[in-house]
Amino acid sequence: MNQHLLPFYYWLESTALSHWVNRETQWLWPTMETLHFIGLSLLVGVAGFFDFRLLGALRGVPISAVKKFMPWALVGFGINLVTGILFFISQPRVYAANSAWWPKLAFIMIGGLNAMFFETAMGERLLRLGPDEDTPISFKIIGAVSLISWFGVLYFGRMLAFFGTQISGL
Amino acid sequence: MLKLMWALEDSAFAQWVAGAPTIWAYPSILTFHTVGMGIVVGASVVLDLRLLGVGPELPVSRLKVLFRPLWWGFWLNAVTGVVLFIAHAAEKYGQAVFYVKLALIAVALVTVVRIRREIFPEDESAPTHPITRKVKLLAVLSLILWAGAITAGRLMAYINLS
Repeated sequence: MNQHLLPFYYWLESTALSHWVNRETQWLWPTMETLHFIGLSLLVGVAGFFDFRLLGALRGVPISAVKKFMPWALVGFGINLVTGILFFISQPRVYAANSAWWPKLAFIMIGGLNAMFFETAMGERLLRLGPDEDTPISFKIIGAVSLISWFGVLYFGRMLAFFGTQISGL
Repeated sequence: MLKLMWALEDSAFAQWVAGAPTIWAYPSILTFHTVGMGIVVGASVVLDLRLLGVGPELPVSRLKVLFRPLWWGFWLNAVTGVVLFIAHAAEKYGQAVFYVKLALIAVALVTVVRIRREIFPEDESAPTHPITRKVKLLAVLSLILWAGAITAGRLMAYINLS
């Protein structure tokens, strides 16, 4: 564990929010986990649908129409960000010591930055693409990176229960 | 029946799945089960959202592509689910919430099939049927059922009634 971050973890553990999650853990933890899985399905389902169109599949589907679904992927991401932060601040040192946690975080960063890059740098080009048209190589790379990174997030999220110290709620 | 469950759990295969000190056993099978969940529920959610008015530029006729990943994800989860069950057969067999989960999945799948029948005519070349109020209700029902199935699945790790 990174020793420089220890004071931060101790501070997190001292917050009222951290105490609340730990106090109410019996019902709160299963509830947050369920929400985390629902968010996962939203994110993977909707973003995966978009990614496959970016890869050039689903011909005949206008890419701009598929993009209209993306706010729902963002809803899923938001649910998982909130529940994920609550998981973390309840036991920050346990997560930080878990060797699956850092790769999970890295994949979240890659997936997030990839989506932000696409949104800001390629948004206009996307709207010009016809419904039956193949996608340019740049779109295919973005789609592949997105699929791989969200799968990585899911994989290492699952591995949290099997790598390192047992997290109390898992 | 419980004897059979114990026998399953004691089999070499179940012992390997449950106890092998490798991430290729239980951890990976569980991960595939979660991936399958994301595909089944995700594909279903995209279908339901479109029927409820999201992305109206997406032709309803193209929604047919969603059924293939949906069923692939389902079979992936049927297989990984059976393996996960065998690994802890006696415990899962006695868990009421496990049967609730199975029932919710069954009803959710029936709902998905009904939606398909409502919007796609038997004649492949014919235009799709309009999205009626009934179809929208089925879409809402499907979303509720999948959320319920996920909840029941998660609770299997917490509620032990055996």
